[in-house]
Amino acid sequence: MDVYEVFKRSGHKEPFAHAGAVIAPDSEMALIMAKECFLRRREGEHLWVTRRSDIHSFSDESLLEIAADKSYRFPEAYRDVVTKREKAKVRAKEVMAERNAS
Amino acid sequence: MTSKSLISLLLAYGDDELILGHRHSEWTGFAPHIEEDVAFSSIAQDEIGHAANYFMLTARLTDDDADRIALGRDADEYRNAVICERSNGDWAYTLARHWLYDTADDIRLATLERSSNTELAQLATKMRREERYHLIHADMWMKRVAHGPVEGRSRIETGLSSAFAEAIGLFEPIELEAEAVDEGWLPTPSFELKATFIERASNTLDDLGLPTDVRADLDESAEFVASSSGDLIASPDGGDAEPAQPTGLGGRSGEHTGDFDQLWGELTKTYRQHPGATW
Amino acid sequence: MTYDEKLARFNEHIEDGGKVETNDWMPDDYRRGVLKFVEMHANSEIMGALPERECLPIAPSLRRKMSLAAKIQDEVGHAQLLYRVAEDLGKSRDTMFHDLVTGRSKFHNVFHYPVRHWGDVAIIGWLIDGAALVTQAALRDSSYAPYARVLKRICAEEQLHLRHGEHITMELSAGTDEQRAMFQEALDRWWLPIIHFFGPRSNVAKDLLLRWKVKTRTNEDLRQEFLDRYVPKILELGYTFPTPVPYRDADDYLVRDEDIDWEPLNDIKKNQGPETERRLTWRRDIYETHRWVRDAMAEPAVHAA
Repeated sequence: MDVYEVFKRSGHKEPFAHAGAVIAPDSEMALIMAKECFLRRREGEHLWVTRRSDIHSFSDESLLEIAADKSYRFPEAYRDVVTKREKAKVRAKEVMAERNAS
Repeated sequence: MTSKSLISLLLAYGDDELILGHRHSEWTGFAPHIEEDVAFSSIAQDEIGHAANYFMLTARLTDDDADRIALGRDADEYRNAVICERSNGDWAYTLARHWLYDTADDIRLATLERSSNTELAQLATKMRREERYHLIHADMWMKRVAHGPVEGRSRIETGLSSAFAEAIGLFEPIELEAEAVDEGWLPTPSFELKATFIERASNTLDDLGLPTDVRADLDESAEFVASSSGDLIASPDGGDAEPAQPTGLGGRSGEHTGDFDQLWGELTKTYRQHPGATW
Repeated sequence: MTYDEKLARFNEHIEDGGKVETNDWMPDDYRRGVLKFVEMHANSEIMGALPERECLPIAPSLRRKMSLAAKIQDEVGHAQLLYRVAEDLGKSRDTMFHDLVTGRSKFHNVFHYPVRHWGDVAIIGWLIDGAALVTQAALRDSSYAPYARVLKRICAEEQLHLRHGEHITMELSAGTDEQRAMFQEALDRWWLPIIHFFGPRSNVAKDLLLRWKVKTRTNEDLRQEFLDRYVPKILELGYTFPTPVPYRDADDYLVRDEDIDWEPLNDIKKNQGPETERRLTWRRDIYETHRWVRDAMAEPAVHAA
């Protein structure tokens, strides 16, 4: 017997998400059991199972931390675009006024 | 009054990070495997980010601007080791340099964690956390190529043969090093760090079953010169003559190679063309 | 069930807004059409990394250098996602890469053009990513579900890129005369390629991908949305347009069909754009000299000696 991890997807637009695990002797039986254990109320439209031993993870998950400043990867870093836009518009008005004057 | 030897230390290490990060970033869009392209880009960003850390600290101490320090100096004011400025060559050279550099960086960050400048010490701890991932990445690739098919293995040997000698330049003493050590900015002198580096890198090469002759006699007294192909050959005139200058030195006093001139031209171009502009 | 019955049922499914998964039955034309479309999208992401990659060394500040690197990294990440989707339709990544570097497949027109200075980064980040976002947002409803799913993530990242590009644009626009001139000069070069980006008018009757809802909107419809959204913003910043100059008509900003010179696009369709050869050669050289890396990766797991 093996532990099989169970993943379900609720619709075509969603990614698969982990739902739980079942104990079964093979993938065929794992699917049948997972269907009733996790989707008996139709909580998903698609189902995957995979043997736990086929899943790999970092033994030290602190590796996933972002140690340095990576704020530029996030939208919050560009929030001041609003004030920059206003400054740019003021500058544009000056330029356009000069252009019209000449 | 700001210690000149502290600034010297920050610039040397900061320039290493900046220049190597710049070279690493040149792989973006071209790395030999798409997933690796994404992975290696993060390493490039990390190195540039570390440079920013060093330069922001420098800027605070000297009432300067980090971007001015990074992008606004004359070519001979950069203090990076020559290995960092070398063109990327192929993936094997890039990999060999990445592995050597991050091994070296881990060693010097370990000592900087004990720096008498607390800001620098904290910075070192922070950066070292990230370097841990760089090392795992580099080790994994070295292992895969070293244990893989013949062509990759021979390419990594070629890459190492030019990179290992020049990696020693990372431990060329910085300007005012004696004072930096006395003050405790740099708790361990460069020659000791170098010995640690050579031992650690050599042991790993042994473990990987890579030939060890590329790292023989990497002491400052060693006599070797670079052939035009970049391979190391023994100095022809033996031990009696003036010891030949090992390659890869000079960076810490601002002596750079043609590879640097090209890099510097691009690196500083936009910044220098538009004095006073903000970006 | 006969093929015709299967096809009728498939068409009905699509007509009702149904989605298609990789292992579902689909007509060969659908499979081929989606594969070609997604492959071109993937090619465009990886080739699209190059113009900006050429600007990365000249970034004017440390922050911009890192954020541009991160932005290009995202584009490469998009290529990774899209090649995966395409691969599952039956063509290996290696074959797709081979076809790309030998000029047998296509990528978007805008990535065949040169870059000259930091103004190009503003145009690419704001207007070209803006144009891409208009087209990609429409594809999130694509009938091919695996494509629609990766587009969700891609669009979220493109939103960020748009912000990044706008941020750079506004900094230039509020800056010195030289900085403003950089943007204007880049706009003058890029405007026609951006108009081309959406493609010529769609032939709705003939376009199978539209009929099967792989694509959901016509080229002209998407171009119009882009013009309406961005022309006023560009005017507001005091810049001028080269031909085709947009004009206002009630709430819309239009360009006249006869003002659009399609000749440059026709060259690009033959892979004969200004930078096509150079960029493809560059990529081909690295691809060919690094076969050994692919060989090393093809080896089974290695463990410490």
